Amino acid sequence: MTVQGNPGEKIYINCSNCKKKGYFIIPSYKPVSDSVSIEINGLTKIYKDVRAVDNVSFNVRNGEIFGFLGPNGAGKTTTIKALLGLIHVNSGTIQINGFDMRKDSIEVKEKIGYLPEKVSFYENLTPVQTLNFFCELKGVDKTVVPSLIKEVGLEDAMYRKVGTFSKGMVQLLGIAQAMIGNPSIFILDEPTVGLDARWVRYIRQKIKVLNEHGATVIFSSHILSEVETLCNRVAIINKGKLIAEDTVANLNKYLHIKPRIEISIDGLNGKVPKVLENIDGVEVADAKGDILFVTCDTQVRSHIIAALEEAGFKVVNIKTIEPSLEDAFVKLIEGDT
Amino acid sequence: MKKFNPRAMYTIAKKEFLDNIRNKWVILLTFLFVLIIVLFSYATGSGETFGDMETTVFGLLGISSILIPLIAIILGFSTISGEAESGALYVVLSYPVRRVEVLLGKLLGLGSVIIVSVFIGFGLGGVVIALTVGPESWVGYIAFIFLSIFLGFIYLSLSICISAFCKRRITSIGGGLLVFFWSMIYETIVTAIYFVTGGSIEDLMASIIPDWFYNSVVFSPSDLFQTTVYRAFGGSTIEAMGFSVTIPEFLSPINLIIFLIIWFLVPLVLAYIFFKKRDI
Repeated sequence: MTVQGNPGEKIYINCSNCKKKGYFIIPSYKPVSDSVSIEINGLTKIYKDVRAVDNVSFNVRNGEIFGFLGPNGAGKTTTIKALLGLIHVNSGTIQINGFDMRKDSIEVKEKIGYLPEKVSFYENLTPVQTLNFFCELKGVDKTVVPSLIKEVGLEDAMYRKVGTFSKGMVQLLGIAQAMIGNPSIFILDEPTVGLDARWVRYIRQKIKVLNEHGATVIFSSHILSEVETLCNRVAIINKGKLIAEDTVANLNKYLHIKPRIEISIDGLNGKVPKVLENIDGVEVADAKGDILFVTCDTQVRSHIIAALEEAGFKVVNIKTIEPSLEDAFVKLIEGDT
Repeated sequence: MKKFNPRAMYTIAKKEFLDNIRNKWVILLTFLFVLIIVLFSYATGSGETFGDMETTVFGLLGISSILIPLIAIILGFSTISGEAESGALYVVLSYPVRRVEVLLGKLLGLGSVIIVSVFIGFGLGGVVIALTVGPESWVGYIAFIFLSIFLGFIYLSLSICISAFCKRRITSIGGGLLVFFWSMIYETIVTAIYFVTGGSIEDLMASIIPDWFYNSVVFSPSDLFQTTVYRAFGGSTIEAMGFSVTIPEFLSPINLIIFLIIWFLVPLVLAYIFFKKRDI
């Protein structure tokens, strides 16, 4: 069974499958590091009359996985491009590892692995030639190329022209490219777009592994579950403005989105017990079959269980479902419009 | 802050060469180039009246001043705009490389494709000439080859400039076509101006041509190139097809070379400015 809850929370588990009972404590989030890897301050980019990025500031700490979220056209890619010096910004400062990206970008770029949202290579080159080129550009030994190609599963296409590749294959080559020279910072713009389930899993796993080896990873996504399971912290951008920067858990607290509890009760038969009406803090209660769904604050939960058992209900299992980032996202964007 | 990195430039050049030497349009045009040159040099070289080097070169001039600009424009017109649109340039510029290194690398790499193409064409032509005319005119022929390569670099510089300026590939196609047709119709335009401003067909037939008419070649690099070749081989007077035309003082060899260099450098500097300011 899966257990979900807030960091540091103690949850009572009574597993119906293995018959185990006991308390489980959700590990609390610890800041990975206090040192800042990427520091963006007051970033503004105006395209004609549109403020694509409007006074955006946030920090990414050393060694963390940082999620950058927002709907399409929110300014994610523009921010990332500014980060790499691909576009000229109207105002603001960008520092990576203490270097000003507008001045000393060459030194920093040696340590960055980047996968753009729209990735493309040279159609008449083979994957080997392509990666050789990027190794040379980074001043890295080319002997890593065959193993990189093998890692992303392109060994059968090693001597084919990239021009004949499918979108997914180009994306995989893009990932191999980003890993050249063991970068300490990965900037991945929608890394799982266009890939099948197997490779999506591979990339998520890869991000974890790279991070465990000490790399800082910043990746943008519009897939919330991906960000939620991978990231230490997130920033949410909408219409060019940063609307939140926090841990996933804190973000939910800050938005006052309450968790939902699923309580399995023997012989409930789809009826909501009347005792719930007398408990303060119960917002929504619903029943389906033997499962009772209650939306409430975490601390109210014990009152509910106690009241239910007092009323003679046989509680078999309790499961807390934390609000997802998607809920937070919807709420934030609604509040922004 | 590190200085200009020639290694990065060389890496870009090598990639451009490897990618574009397999460009099917370039291969097709090079093949056409070889075919025309071999046929032409064979035809003029073996004939009794057209056997001299000058005529061979003047004959090849028309072909090369169309085909070489065309190859250069095909290679360069979307080298920046196309890559910015497809996303390839994002990746490259996220590497430790400066835009000036990318630009010069592209010029050198694409230029090498032109050099190979010209050498294949003129090389085979040269073999035919050597067999039919004899090797005495080789120095002139080699000078002609180098001028042709320089013409390629001028058009490359122009087309890279277009690709750095245009936001999208489709608009840079328009730019490339404009540059190509400018070279093709330039003489027609100048001739039209000549008649509109009171020039007569009789004067033209009698080779009484105002100096401005000739001097205006400075506005068209392919005409400038042709004049330079005439000047290099025929001196200040060209005698061809029954005409005897004297090239004005203004178009002295040194001035012609200066104008050719300007046509190469100005677009290149502009390309650098556009590229530097560009949001990728």
